[in-house]
Amino acid sequence: MDSLVARYSRPATLNRETFSEDLQDGLHDDMNPGLSLKFAMPPVAQPSAWLRAATDDHANPNCPIKIAHGTTTLAFRFQGGIIVATDSRATAGNWIASQTVKKVIEINSCLLGTMAGGAADCQYWLAWLGMQCRLHELRHKRRISVAAASKILANLVYQYKGMGLSMGTMCAGVTKEEGPALYYIDSDGTRLAGNLFCVGSGQTFAYGVLDAEYRYDLGADEALELGRRSILAATHRDAYSGGYINLYHVKEDGWVKHGFSDTNPIFWKTKLEKGEFTNVTSALD
Amino acid sequence: MSSPFSINGGACVAMVGKDCVAIACDLRLGLQALTVSNNFPKIFQYGDVFLGLTGLATDVSTVSDLFRYKVNMYRLREERNIAPSTFANLVSSSLYERRFGPYFVSPVVAGLDPKSGRPFICGFDSIGCIDFAKDFIVSGTASEQLFGMCESLWEPDLGPDDLFETISQALLSAVDRDALSGWGAHVYIVEKDKVTKRLLKGRQD
Amino acid sequence: MADRYSFSLTTFSPSGKLVQIEYALNAVNQGVTALGIKATNGIVLATEKKSSSPLSDPSSLSKISLITPNIGMVYAGMGPDYRVLVDRARKVSHTGYKRIYNEYPPTRILVQDVAREMQEATQSGGVRPYGVSLLVAGWDEGVMPDVESAVQGGGEVEGEKKPSGKTGGILKGGPMLYQVDPSGAYYPWKATAIGKSATTAKTFLEKRYTEGLELEDAVHIALLTLKETIEGEMNGDSIEIGIVGPPADHLLGVEGVHGATGPRFRKLSPQEIEDYLTNL
Repeated sequence: MDSLVARYSRPATLNRETFSEDLQDGLHDDMNPGLSLKFAMPPVAQPSAWLRAATDDHANPNCPIKIAHGTTTLAFRFQGGIIVATDSRATAGNWIASQTVKKVIEINSCLLGTMAGGAADCQYWLAWLGMQCRLHELRHKRRISVAAASKILANLVYQYKGMGLSMGTMCAGVTKEEGPALYYIDSDGTRLAGNLFCVGSGQTFAYGVLDAEYRYDLGADEALELGRRSILAATHRDAYSGGYINLYHVKEDGWVKHGFSDTNPIFWKTKLEKGEFTNVTSALD
Repeated sequence: MSSPFSINGGACVAMVGKDCVAIACDLRLGLQALTVSNNFPKIFQYGDVFLGLTGLATDVSTVSDLFRYKVNMYRLREERNIAPSTFANLVSSSLYERRFGPYFVSPVVAGLDPKSGRPFICGFDSIGCIDFAKDFIVSGTASEQLFGMCESLWEPDLGPDDLFETISQALLSAVDRDALSGWGAHVYIVEKDKVTKRLLKGRQD
Repeated sequence: MADRYSFSLTTFSPSGKLVQIEYALNAVNQGVTALGIKATNGIVLATEKKSSSPLSDPSSLSKISLITPNIGMVYAGMGPDYRVLVDRARKVSHTGYKRIYNEYPPTRILVQDVAREMQEATQSGGVRPYGVSLLVAGWDEGVMPDVESAVQGGGEVEGEKKPSGKTGGILKGGPMLYQVDPSGAYYPWKATAIGKSATTAKTFLEKRYTEGLELEDAVHIALLTLKETIEGEMNGDSIEIGIVGPPADHLLGVEGVHGATGPRFRKLSPQEIEDYLTNL
């Protein structure tokens, strides 16, 4: 059974050679070699299986390479645009590798991507996506739609399906044609349009707060506070989320950044001034 | 990741000062990534002796109760409090009794010797090998971070106030780099005829 | 009457007595006298080594035994029963204590363990009570801080000799002397005697014992007491003396090990006994 699954989950990988060459011929004639998409492959029969054995710390805690992940990201549409919020923690196993990761990737002045899963995968491919969007702009003399941009990414990751890419990302943007548009793309190849997404190990905690308070006709300040509060809840309960809250508001004329703020003072302010988080002890009995 | 020692998370550290000892622990109880409780202390006081237990939470509870029973029986039988070094040997022999089915805990013992007043700390592996130390003992999922902090912050002959500052900074900084520890901390400073217990409000993420 | 309750199983008589235990005490009271005296800085145990024949070799006979480095024991009554108890006491001091706490039991804990062994023989099927009474002498390290220096610095009255502030016991530490009977009952003593001439010896001890006694004085009194009760000649081979005193580092077998202290309990050699006897 496993060998069957392996056989039929591989074709995309095997065919990639020709497919990506087409892609390169069409799109990157004058590219510098750094983004040539010709990745060095380990000299083994099954590069993807080899990579998984070396990096899948869930299946094998003693794997030699621990890829940083663990995240909470969310984005939701409302009448005033789109709110994008993330935490900033990167973990490798239980080790907190960084508390200051920028998980919102500014693709261009109107498009934002979020980062969950493999940090390097997200960073690399969202940067690559930014490049594709700019090329689209230059070729067609108008900005790319969010639908098109997200599809470029979705198609790309599908090329690499089964190779061990790990990303769960959201593309948020506002365009004339679409209005506020929000897409979810993951490394399985899934691409979904929707009003509200939370992605990452802390997604359930964020959904808990977000679903309870979410309305489409939220005011801008209310929406920002809801995004912040949802991430705060996730950082509190999820061990692999934390650090700083990164908040963005995407409007028709581009996105606005609403700070990269430490959760710690926000948490104690929320607890002590609003009387929430009563589960946390703040004094010895 | 599914090691019994890192399912629930937690950290504990003990340090020697001048005529005093300090022992501190975090307060988190988790189930893998999910934080279940922010009020799960891992330090237990038996008379003049302190026992810190990190590891599998169910074993932390069981082992702490077991030693409460054993220490109470000792006190009734001998009409005196157990000395830290005696208690350490009791912990060691009790853990080795479970050599082939161990409790998944990493204990730490701290206290002042009742006769000489000398500080005593030691740590154990889960089957009772004692690690006597003259400086500090660490245990838990943040033990590597704690080693780093203690190696750089600890110095000999710290007074109670400086020792409190040192152990608190070491613990808080260490757990801030461990996903499975933190969410507040308890610190005990043990001096002759005086024990001070403090709550540290650590980061809650 | 006695015949009806003299089965080997210890059974209450209608008057509430356990006659088997009384018989055991009778055996003790026919045994060779042994005595113990507690001093401020130690304890002495003494007994007579009786040989029934001039052909016997007394040097291989030993009635006073070391149990732990700081605890020794002597008996009155049946020698074979005593040897069993010595074995049990040595074993339980390890299995029940040293292997758990990595230190030897305080005297009272050991006495309780031995007393439990003796009590169980009065309540178990198929056994008879032990036909011995024991004198157990030991030194406890104690857990309370030493206060001697403070006392001395406080300007005490000159001339009043107080070599140790330790009065014995688990908390303060110091010398402890216990008697254990076949019933399992145990009593702490400053000085006492068991065996054939126990009454005579105790009367004598009551007269001679004073508070603040030192070990040397105690050995002296022990020999005087023994002299009152002994039948044969007193010499280094006919009496046995064990003392609990200062750590005997020369018995350690090693030198230069930091923190190692020698046993406090040791038996006096015939030569040492002779020396004491000449000074009597």
